[in-house]
Amino acid sequence: MIPFLKRIWQAAPVATVILGGALAVSLFFAVRLVAFWIYWADPAHRDQAIEPWMTPGYIAHSWGVPREVAFEALNLPPAPGGPRTMQDLAAERGVSVNVLAQDLQAAIDTFRAQEDTRP
Amino acid sequence: MTDTIFALVTTWGALVIFASSFLSCLALPIPTSLMMLSGGAFVAAGDLALWQVIAGAWGGAILGDQSGYLIGRHGGAPLVERIAHTPARRAVLARARKVVDRRGGLGVFFSTWLFAPLGPWVNFVAGTTGLGWLRFTIWDVLGETIWVTVYVGLGYGFASQIEAVSDILGSAVGLLAGLAVTGAMGVWIRGALKAQKARATPAR
Repeated sequence: MIPFLKRIWQAAPVATVILGGALAVSLFFAVRLVAFWIYWADPAHRDQAIEPWMTPGYIAHSWGVPREVAFEALNLPPAPGGPRTMQDLAAERGVSVNVLAQDLQAAIDTFRAQEDTRP
Repeated sequence: MTDTIFALVTTWGALVIFASSFLSCLALPIPTSLMMLSGGAFVAAGDLALWQVIAGAWGGAILGDQSGYLIGRHGGAPLVERIAHTPARRAVLARARKVVDRRGGLGVFFSTWLFAPLGPWVNFVAGTTGLGWLRFTIWDVLGETIWVTVYVGLGYGFASQIEAVSDILGSAVGLLAGLAVTGAMGVWIRGALKAQKARATPAR
């Protein structure tokens, strides 16, 4: 191993340095890939809690409820002129994102409960 | 970080995707793939129009690649001419040009999507070593079409697991780029070893 490294170092020092760097980078991303794979394979990590960056439409899509359910829960017109995030909506109404998120979550839960009881 | 990107995409829509796509093709470290993924996710959610997201990402990428190529052609090529004034350097340059002329099109093609982190550098090199503009553009447009389609498509298809997709895909892309550079250095070192051996045992 060491004699081989010495030989390639003498033949092409620049390439050897870049090779070392590239191997380190590859190893880093390989470890990261496996770590993320294990993390996201756990179903508990897959339910996306409502976060400030999400839009009502995105939340509806993510939780598998119709867009209208989310818009009605937040008293929004069907087409509010461009997408807005939960953060923007909360700021506009002077409430915290959590308050809005709770309203929305309640509406989603109600809708899902209704879906389940339907024959 | 991820949250900021998502918030930017909802606020500015296709415009921010266009800008980041353009700048990342000029080697600025901007997470454009994440922008395209979130763009696709917001299309699925009904918040953004598909054609705008595609047009923004694709237009930005192609304009960015063209700019990189032109910088290489008008900035890099004269510089290399000046550096390569000794016969030995001239020979290296001629060999580099030959490789680019033979394999440059495919190199540009794969560097736009499969080895995306290397893309900007390949554009500069293509411009500097004189790869023909039409050949560059055709391969580049083909490659960028794949890049944009794959990322926006994955964002659309996995909209509800966008963070998982971006984490896993980001690592895979980094790993591929690292392995590509490793492979290229392997070829370089093998060539250098062969040259050394040839010098040690001169031909009769």
